[in-house]
Amino acid sequence: MKILVINCGSSSIKYQFFSLDENRVLAKGIVEKIGMKGSFLKHEKESGQKVLFEGEILDHKIGIEYILGVLSSPKHGCIKSLNEINAVGHRVVHGGEKFSESVLITEEVTQELEKFCELAPLHNPPNLKGIYAVRSLIPEIPQVAVFDTAFHHTMPQHAFMYAIPYALYKKYGIRRYGFHGTSHRYVSSRACEILKADPAKVKIITCHLGNGASACAIKYGESIDTSMGFTPVEGLIMGTRSGDIDMGAVTFIMDKEKIGTKSASILFNKHSGLLGISGIASDMREICSAADKGDERCLLAIKMLNYRIRKYIGAYAAAMGGVDVLVFTGGLGENSDITRAGVCEDLEFLGISINNQINEGLRGEERIISNEHSRVKVMVVPTNEELMIAIDTQNIIRSLTK
Amino acid sequence: MEDIIIEPIEDFGLSKKHQQRTLFSKIGIVGCGKDGQNIARIASANGMEVVFIELSEDRIQNAYNRLSIVLDRRIDNWGMTQGEKKLILSRIKGSLDYKDLKDCDFVIEAIRAEASERKITERKEVFRKIEEVVTPECIIATNSTTIIITELSSELKHRERCVSLHFFVQSPEARVCEVVKGMYTSEEVYNSVLKFVKMVDRQAIPVEESAGLISIRLYTALLNEACEVLLEGVGTMVDIDSVWKVGFGMRFGPFELADILGIDKINRWMENLYTEFGDPRYMASPVIKKLNRAKRFGVHTCCGFYKYDVNGKIVGTGPLSNEKL
Repeated sequence: MKILVINCGSSSIKYQFFSLDENRVLAKGIVEKIGMKGSFLKHEKESGQKVLFEGEILDHKIGIEYILGVLSSPKHGCIKSLNEINAVGHRVVHGGEKFSESVLITEEVTQELEKFCELAPLHNPPNLKGIYAVRSLIPEIPQVAVFDTAFHHTMPQHAFMYAIPYALYKKYGIRRYGFHGTSHRYVSSRACEILKADPAKVKIITCHLGNGASACAIKYGESIDTSMGFTPVEGLIMGTRSGDIDMGAVTFIMDKEKIGTKSASILFNKHSGLLGISGIASDMREICSAADKGDERCLLAIKMLNYRIRKYIGAYAAAMGGVDVLVFTGGLGENSDITRAGVCEDLEFLGISINNQINEGLRGEERIISNEHSRVKVMVVPTNEELMIAIDTQNIIRSLTK
Repeated sequence: MEDIIIEPIEDFGLSKKHQQRTLFSKIGIVGCGKDGQNIARIASANGMEVVFIELSEDRIQNAYNRLSIVLDRRIDNWGMTQGEKKLILSRIKGSLDYKDLKDCDFVIEAIRAEASERKITERKEVFRKIEEVVTPECIIATNSTTIIITELSSELKHRERCVSLHFFVQSPEARVCEVVKGMYTSEEVYNSVLKFVKMVDRQAIPVEESAGLISIRLYTALLNEACEVLLEGVGTMVDIDSVWKVGFGMRFGPFELADILGIDKINRWMENLYTEFGDPRYMASPVIKKLNRAKRFGVHTCCGFYKYDVNGKIVGTGPLSNEKL
């Protein structure tokens, strides 16, 4: 089955075109600067050959039209006709409380999704634009929505509620939703495949450490808690996001600095995290190289980041009554041996012990990095959200045709 | 650089009909004083390329410096990041040559005419110069509030493309913009401008053509009344501002706001409104005339109703009041 996976951002569209039966990625690419000067489409063929298409791309619909045009062009394409596309899978950030799994997109579904725009004002509107564009360009091809929040739908109420007036939950849906669900789901099930373990019998903690970062407690195949909450700012320390912080400090800062909600949101989302502590960068590589030269605040930033993750691992081990597998993924989780080693330090009491020889220098490769005797299997599993979306899409289309 | 094939994207559309340009991808501004800088910053922050025309290299440099200071202030107040500032400034180019406006799809005149009587002639001249270089589809607007757009556009070849729009400068949070349709303005142009206002994340307020629009008429009347209350000795300057701010929940009092907007500018507004309507309520209060004559224009001269330090922070009251703050 040939499936096009689309991830629409506010001014960009990422896409990957899969032939799942053959286990191939036929093409992938990105459209950037939509609606701005200098917009372009960067396309990569299966051979690795890159093509840059330059010109005006007014909106998401035209961006998607060009993606379809390139995919089906004799010169740079990989299909003869658009009918060869069996289905389109979309990444949708917020599925609210309604969607607990991926769904076939119908008129009712898009109506529901419109409602969630308020909860994810930066992400859901462009996701929807992509869905509408595909619907008008190739209406006969089925579309599937895969949600970032859906995997966390299994969280029990005592884990997803905030201890604030219950009326606010009823009124605005204020609760913890969690994000990165597609990634946590993919790496946890992949880890089970590698370990030949039954997902229904293991307790896994997954750490998705990228520009945004979250940890997830997966008990017997279901997410029972995750570190991001109502918005992606809760939880771990990230590149520019603070993660957990005392509410009292937030209101105090707003009073003292005389700022409103908008600036406060920018402060905790863009000026904080590794950037805020180090004062230098949000990128771990830069921070590490400054720390090597003795920069105190960079050293502090690294320690804080590791410490926060370690606290969550401890908390989730307690929440699940144990842990069998610890998975690292995301840019930092896949590539930074220092972070992995730093996080796992002193966790022997939990049965976590990593093999430094394997860990050191390991980048972007599926691998077990714990020692033979380590009770907990510690692993690196590169995430692949696009593949997960493609597989979900295929499963839904197959179930329809049966 | 690795091997990358480069292609024009137009050849790869499904219907091959997308030759049109992105609407408002590049906008022009003539005159980069406070108003011009404000518009440049707003447009650039929303992803548009901006080219502004000034009279000298010095003024261009000054505009860049002021833009940089305003953005730094926003960073200091956590409202923006260094990266965003860099991006915003990189999209703004200053020029001395009107020809650089030629590929703009929207040009806004925001000159600061020193003397009222010359104002309309100067602006007409600017409009003519803009029209010489831009395409016939390009929309031309004025940021002026007391000049009638129909009169301004009357001498243009394509009068239907003229509108007037008024951005608020006193606060970046003032997300509203008055949009005026002239007698000649076409429906199509007007709707495009409404779209522009939406693109820069402001609420468009449609206003019938009338000097002073809504905002300036309301404010000049308020300020005159505040001056009257002050002259009658009913209340002190600081107290009048306090009543307005605290009592009515406004961000600035009438006197504070006068200093921010510029007393020279307010004086010109009032002269224009009085000429237009002949109603004495728009006639500048003696207090305003006095400050204007003394060139105590407000924040930008460090003295007006209040006294200011170089960063624009209030440090005391001006010559009209001996109150302690």
